Amino acid sequence: MEKDFIIAGFGGQGVLLAGEVLANAFMLDCKNVTWYPSYGAEMRGGTVNCGVVMSDEEVSSVQKSKSDFIIVLNQASFDKYTSWVRKGGSIIVNSSLAKIAKTRDDINYIFVPITKMAQEKLGNIKMSNIFALGVLSKVSRLVSLKTLEKALYNVIPPHRKHLIPKNIEALKLGYEYDLLPV
Amino acid sequence: MATQVFKIPESFRKNVRYSFCPGCDHGVAVRLVAECLDELGLTENAITATSIGCSVGLYDFLNVDSIEAPHGRALAVATGVKRAKPDKFVFTYQGDGDFASIGWAESMHCAFRGENLSAICINNTTYGMTGGQLGPTTLLGQVTTTSPTGRNIEYYGYPVKIAEHIALSDGTAYSARVSLDSVANIKKAKLAIKKAFEVQLKGLGFGFVEILSSCPTNWRMTPEQAHERVRDEMMQIFKLGVYKDITV
Amino acid sequence: MVVECLTGTKVLMKGNYAIANAAVLAGCQCYFGYPITPQSEIGEFMSGKMQQLGRAYVSAESELAAINMVIGAVSTGVKAMSSSSSCAISLMQEALSYATSDQLPVVLVSVMRGGPGLGNIYPSQGDYNQATIGGGNGDYNIIVLAPSNVQECIDLTYKAFYLAFKYRNPTILLADGLLGQMMEPVEFYDYPYPEIDTSSWALTGAKGRDARVIRSYAPLETDQCVYVDNLFKKYKLIEENEVEYEEYMTDDAELVVAAFGSMYRNVKSAVKICREKGLKVGAFRPITLYPFPSKRLSELADRVEKFLVTEINMGQMVRDVRLAVNGKARVLFKGKAVGAMIDVEDLVEEIEKQMGGV
Repeated sequence: MEKDFIIAGFGGQGVLLAGEVLANAFMLDCKNVTWYPSYGAEMRGGTVNCGVVMSDEEVSSVQKSKSDFIIVLNQASFDKYTSWVRKGGSIIVNSSLAKIAKTRDDINYIFVPITKMAQEKLGNIKMSNIFALGVLSKVSRLVSLKTLEKALYNVIPPHRKHLIPKNIEALKLGYEYDLLPV
Repeated sequence: MATQVFKIPESFRKNVRYSFCPGCDHGVAVRLVAECLDELGLTENAITATSIGCSVGLYDFLNVDSIEAPHGRALAVATGVKRAKPDKFVFTYQGDGDFASIGWAESMHCAFRGENLSAICINNTTYGMTGGQLGPTTLLGQVTTTSPTGRNIEYYGYPVKIAEHIALSDGTAYSARVSLDSVANIKKAKLAIKKAFEVQLKGLGFGFVEILSSCPTNWRMTPEQAHERVRDEMMQIFKLGVYKDITV
Repeated sequence: MVVECLTGTKVLMKGNYAIANAAVLAGCQCYFGYPITPQSEIGEFMSGKMQQLGRAYVSAESELAAINMVIGAVSTGVKAMSSSSSCAISLMQEALSYATSDQLPVVLVSVMRGGPGLGNIYPSQGDYNQATIGGGNGDYNIIVLAPSNVQECIDLTYKAFYLAFKYRNPTILLADGLLGQMMEPVEFYDYPYPEIDTSSWALTGAKGRDARVIRSYAPLETDQCVYVDNLFKKYKLIEENEVEYEEYMTDDAELVVAAFGSMYRNVKSAVKICREKGLKVGAFRPITLYPFPSKRLSELADRVEKFLVTEINMGQMVRDVRLAVNGKARVLFKGKAVGAMIDVEDLVEEIEKQMGGV
């Protein structure tokens, strides 16, 4: 089994970090995994995305044009990546920063006001990325909250360790968010 | 009883004949370097990065471990040697074309970094080995094979004043310009070379000596005329002196 | 160990950091470099690590200076390296030619980006020729190792230092922007190769012996011929002993898809899919680009009908494959100048087309 993930948003939303946490979690689950960034010449601004490929065998290819699970944290990413979702796959949309709209009927849409939730429940919009991973954990059933928690310890640098409890809370809130059909 | 007043320096290889042209000051300069190595007891601990041009044959004359550097890169190679082996005495011996034209970036940045190295640069206002072309230090008005009507500003710009530039760097411990046109100046030149070596031994930074030197062959002069030119023309533009010495 | 991690053995790491960590573990004493995307992480990591370990690090004024600093450092017998990319590796060609002739164990990491000229920072494999043929003057060869995943970035960095010293020859680790930037779980281990004795040639100061000269030329015509002949005797040894490659399902293959570096990953998955469809197709990957596995390709060509070479360039390795196959089989090419690796689906389609469909 090989599954592809993309996380996309604009610079500063913690897209690359969220991907790194996800990739670490798969590693901790003894899966083969590859994380790769998209990158432009600029250091700031514009859209950012990263891909994560998880596989039971060796990870063969990256940079595929289709993906099983895509998280989009802003409108530009939503516009760009809807067509990238593999048939039957899922797209998790940050409805705080993207309009709720469905243009395909062969994929699952999960609309969550991620930024709003991070602000109201966690008091920090910077928690959006990790909150989104909590949602992904529930939607994908491919990675547990427990493993994502462990992965946070691998990824968050020593001088930011005090932020880990808050991030764990973000994961849980994301996971517990009531995913009613829109 | 006879007293020995002249001998071949210990730092010279045995039975080696200079390949320099008759009357060329390279021979004197190399000898001064060898004498300084001898007197400071550095021969067995020294590594030199050699250059390209008339100075290329240094490893044939000196009994010192040598690594050949590409044209202009002597001080980059020397930097690598010194960073790998900080306890070794590391020096370069380069011409003005190598040091101040093709190697200007490597030379200046070596000084900027304050590498603990010593560099000797022979300034003879021409590319000697390739047949006397215009170089970075060619004087205004000087006729060379690539400035057939003399160096003019419109086509060629100005000659480079090397010792002054090197002295401007905060990483430079010593920078001087000397000449080999007379016995008195040769003695001063030796003191300057020794000083450039000593600042390295003391770990003070980059030590540099620019040596004004004759090139009778390419200047189409006798050795005597060539030394007169060093005095009458070169020294007027390239003033002798110590441009920086942090030990005083 | 370099990085602590919950798993104990595996860490998730970018290719560039994997290379840098492996170089440190291999005993690299000196790093000289100049920033260029997509390999700047190597220099960034080294700047801190080398100072922490009391080893040498210089932010060189140019790649030209950096590679010459490596020449100086390795001439004293220590392990030293530089890393760079494409247009900046161009600046190093002069020094690489010198280093082959000086017989110096220079290690250079080349993380390819788009070209020619400034090009762009997207991944590419356009510097196959630059690494294996080179732009320096004269007759020379450089050992070139091409990893295809992050673990191999470590394995082959170790090997690069070993081969460089074993043969006293410059060695290039040829990665690409994708490999440099991607993260995968990797396992570090101690440098597995023996340390090579350098006491017969390294510059240490002429104490108790005649002075040594490391130089690239002999002034007389005949001497220079003898000198270069000896270099080529060494290259023959390298070609006989150091060829490394990977094969997949080639036993009964009618078509073999050949690729190097990260492009091979897609090739392998395309071959898997085609096998499921019943197509007799295999995959081949040179790990050493010099020495190139010509002999093995020639053997395969005795029964393989077609080779399909895929590269993210306009067809560079394909020439080496054609030379190896020497007319015994058809050699086809599929590639593009720069960017994402060619899609698995596209490769499958191409393979099906070349095999006449099913």
